[in-house]
Amino acid sequence: MITRRRLEYELVKHVVGPATLRFDTLRGELKRRKKKPRPDSPFGPPLEAAHKLKELMSLHYLAGRYADGAVPVAWVTSGFPVEFLRPFGFHAVYPENHAALCSAQKQVPELASAAEAEGYATDLCSYARCDLGSAFTGKTPVGRLPKPDLLCCCTNICQTLLYWYRALATHFNVPLVLIDPPFVYGKAKPHHHQYILDQMEELLAEAARVSRKQVSLAELVEVMHLAREGTALWGECLDASRNRPAPWTGFDGFVHIGPIVALRGTKECNAYYRLLRDELHDRVKKGIGGIKNERHRLMWDNLPIWYGLRELSTLLAERGFNFVCTSYTNAWAEGGALVDPSQPMASMARAYSHVLLNQDLKNRLSVLERLARTYEVEGAVLHSDRSCKPYSVGQIDLKDRLQKALGIRVLLFEADHADPRAYAKEPAENRLTAFLESFA
Amino acid sequence: MRNAYIANQKSAHGRKALAVLPIHYPKELLTALDILAVELWGPPGPPRGPDAGRVQTYVCSIVRNALAFMAAGGADAADGVLFPHTCDSIQGLATVAPDMGGWTKPAFTFQHPKGSSRPSARTFVAAELRSLAEELAAFAGRSLEPERLWAALRLHREIDRLRAELLDGRTRLPMTDPELYRLLRRGEFLWPEEHLAELRTARDALGDDAAQSGVPVMITGYVPEPLSLLEALNDAGAYVCGDDYAAVGRRVQRALLGTAGDPLAELSRQYFLASPCSTRSADQSARLRYLTDLFDRSGARGVIVHVLKFCEPELFDIPAIRRTFAARKVPVLVVEGELEPEISGQLVTRLEAFVELLGQTRRAA
Repeated sequence: MITRRRLEYELVKHVVGPATLRFDTLRGELKRRKKKPRPDSPFGPPLEAAHKLKELMSLHYLAGRYADGAVPVAWVTSGFPVEFLRPFGFHAVYPENHAALCSAQKQVPELASAAEAEGYATDLCSYARCDLGSAFTGKTPVGRLPKPDLLCCCTNICQTLLYWYRALATHFNVPLVLIDPPFVYGKAKPHHHQYILDQMEELLAEAARVSRKQVSLAELVEVMHLAREGTALWGECLDASRNRPAPWTGFDGFVHIGPIVALRGTKECNAYYRLLRDELHDRVKKGIGGIKNERHRLMWDNLPIWYGLRELSTLLAERGFNFVCTSYTNAWAEGGALVDPSQPMASMARAYSHVLLNQDLKNRLSVLERLARTYEVEGAVLHSDRSCKPYSVGQIDLKDRLQKALGIRVLLFEADHADPRAYAKEPAENRLTAFLESFA
Repeated sequence: MRNAYIANQKSAHGRKALAVLPIHYPKELLTALDILAVELWGPPGPPRGPDAGRVQTYVCSIVRNALAFMAAGGADAADGVLFPHTCDSIQGLATVAPDMGGWTKPAFTFQHPKGSSRPSARTFVAAELRSLAEELAAFAGRSLEPERLWAALRLHREIDRLRAELLDGRTRLPMTDPELYRLLRRGEFLWPEEHLAELRTARDALGDDAAQSGVPVMITGYVPEPLSLLEALNDAGAYVCGDDYAAVGRRVQRALLGTAGDPLAELSRQYFLASPCSTRSADQSARLRYLTDLFDRSGARGVIVHVLKFCEPELFDIPAIRRTFAARKVPVLVVEGELEPEISGQLVTRLEAFVELLGQTRRAA
C-alpha cells in the first residue's frame, strides 16, 4: 500500500517538482534575455547546461524534503559506494554536498557556530561543523533535510567522516554503517581487499534490514553500469578542457560536480552529463572559452574554496588565467574505470579503496604530473586546506617535486574549503596576484 | 639518553630497534621477535631541523615534530619505523617520510580497523597481525615462535597488571604525579623486562594508608606533555587519581589473558578487549561509560580534558565528555596543548582556579 507520505514524495519528485523548477528556469531565462550581457565580463558565455544543473540539484533537495517516512533515507559520505544503496530505494543525502552549498550561500559561520557552541572545536573540519550545526538547529538553505534512517560512512577520503557521522548517529539515534578501506601504501594487500569485501556484505545486510527489501545481484549490477557510465561521461566533460581555449573553467567544474557526487548511479545523472558534454564539445568546435582571453593554464589541487569561488574565478579570469584541471574533480572521473560489472563486488572493493586520498603520495604526485602534462598547464595552485588534512599533508613536498619535475610554477595557497572565518582574504589574494604576475 | 640505551640494547643483546609512532600497536609481537620498541611521541618541544616546515602548522605537533626529528636524523638509532593507523595525519606521515624524504630505513604500517568490533573487523585484525608478524620476522631475521609470543603476551599483561595497580592505588602511592608519569612512560622505550622490574619496585612502595592529601582529579587526553602541567596541578594542591591518557592509562590492558591455542589469535582477541579509544573510533557511548566508571572508581572530584591541538579523534569526543559530566554536575576543565616545553602562566592560573573550585565542592554523587 502506498502511504500518503510516499504519494507526496513521488508527486514532488516526478510531477510537481520538475514542473515548478522548469517554470522557474523559463522565468529566469526570460529575465536574462531582457538583461544585457556585461561587455566587461572576463568570462565566456555562461553554460546553458547550468540551468539544467540547477533544476536537477534543486529537485534532489526538494524531493528530499518529502523523503523521510516515504522511502528509506541514507546520509552518505561522498566516497561511499552508493551504488549498493540505490536498488534498495534509498533517498541519498550528501552532507558534504550540503555543506558546500551552505558555504557557497555564506551560511557556514552561523551553522558552524551552532556546533561550536556545543563544544566542537574550530580546528575541526568546517564541513563537519556546518552540518552538525545544521542538524542541531534544523537550519538549512535547502528548506529541510530529511531525517536519516541509516548513516553510511566510508573512510576512503578521511577518518574525520567517521567521527562526524558518529556524532550524527548519536543525534538522530540511527544506525551507522561503515566501509573502512585500509590506506594503500604502494600496493593493496590481499587481506585489505578482503576486509572491504566483508564490509560490503555487512552493508548489504544492513541496507536490506533498514529498507526491508531484498535486492538481487542483477539490480546492483545495473546501477554499477549506470555509475560507471556516469563517471566516464564526467571524465569526458573534464577532458574537453584539454582544448585551447578550455570551454569552461575549473571553477565551473567544481559546481557541475554535484550530480556525480549526489546522483551517481542514476539515469538523471548520466543524462545531465551527456547534455553538458555535448555543450562543451560544441563550444570547443566554435572556439568558445570558459574565459574570454585564456592566456595561461593552471591546475588546482584540493577542494575548492566554496565561499570564494566567484571572487577568485574573477580575479583569475581578468588576468587571463584559467584552471583547466583540478585533482578534485578528476578524482570523480577516475574511480569508475575500475568498476567492472562482470566482477561486481571485487571491482567495487578495488575502486573504492583506490581513490586519490586513500593512496600514498607517490600516487598523488603521479596523478598531478599526469594532469599537468595532459592539460598542458604552466602552473599549479595547491590549496592548503585547514579543514582537510588528508588532502593537505604532503602538499609542501608535492609543490617542490612538481616544480622540479615539470618546471612549472607552483603556489601553496592557505584557506579553508567552507569556513570564511579561516580565510585571510586580502593577504591570500595578494599572494595569488603576485603569483599570477610572475607569469608576465 | 635513548640513543645510548638503544645502542646498548643492540650491542649487548643483538636486538633491532623500531621507532613507533602513536598509539596502538602489537608490542607483544615486537618483544617476541626481540625487537626493541622506541615510541616517538613527537618528541616534545618545538620542531627541530630544516624539515620542520614540511607539514602545515594546522597539523598536530606530534606529526610535525616527528617528521622534523626523523628527517634531522634524530631517530637514526632505530633500524625501522612502524606507523600505526591512528589518524589521518599519522597516516599521511607514513607516506610523507618514507616517500618524500626523511626516512630511508624500512617502514611498516599497522592498519587497525575503525568503528565497532564487527565480524569483518575481527577477521581483518587477525589477518593484519599475521601480515605484520611476517614482515617484522623478516626485519628481525628470526621466525616468530608461538611459545615466545605466549611469553611476550604474559610479560606484557604482567606489566599492565602492575601499571593498573599503581594507577588504581594512586592515593596510597607516595610519589608525585611527574614522578609516577616519568616511571610509567619509561615503558615507551625500555626493554619490557627492565620496565617490569622498575614497576615492581614502585609497587612495593604502595602503602595501606593514604599518601596523597590533595584534591583528586581524573585526567583524559592524548599524552602527558609537558610534565609541568602535572607539576602545576600538584603545586595547586591536586593529584591525578584517574588516568585516561592515550599514552598511559588507556593503553593498560585489563582483560584476562587466554592460556592456550594460537597466540596470534589471542593477540587479536586482546585488541578488541582494550579500553575504548577515540583513535580506534570505538563506540562513543562505550568510551563515556568507561570514563564515568573510571571517575566513580577513582574518587575524583573533577575532570581535566587535556587535548592536543588539532587532534581530531580527541576533539570530536569533547562535547560528549562535557555533556556527560555536566549531567552529573562534575566540573570539567578543557585545556589544550601543543607539546610545548612548559605550560603557560595562564594555564597555571586556570589549573589553580579549577583546583580551588574543586576544593570548595563536595564530590558529586
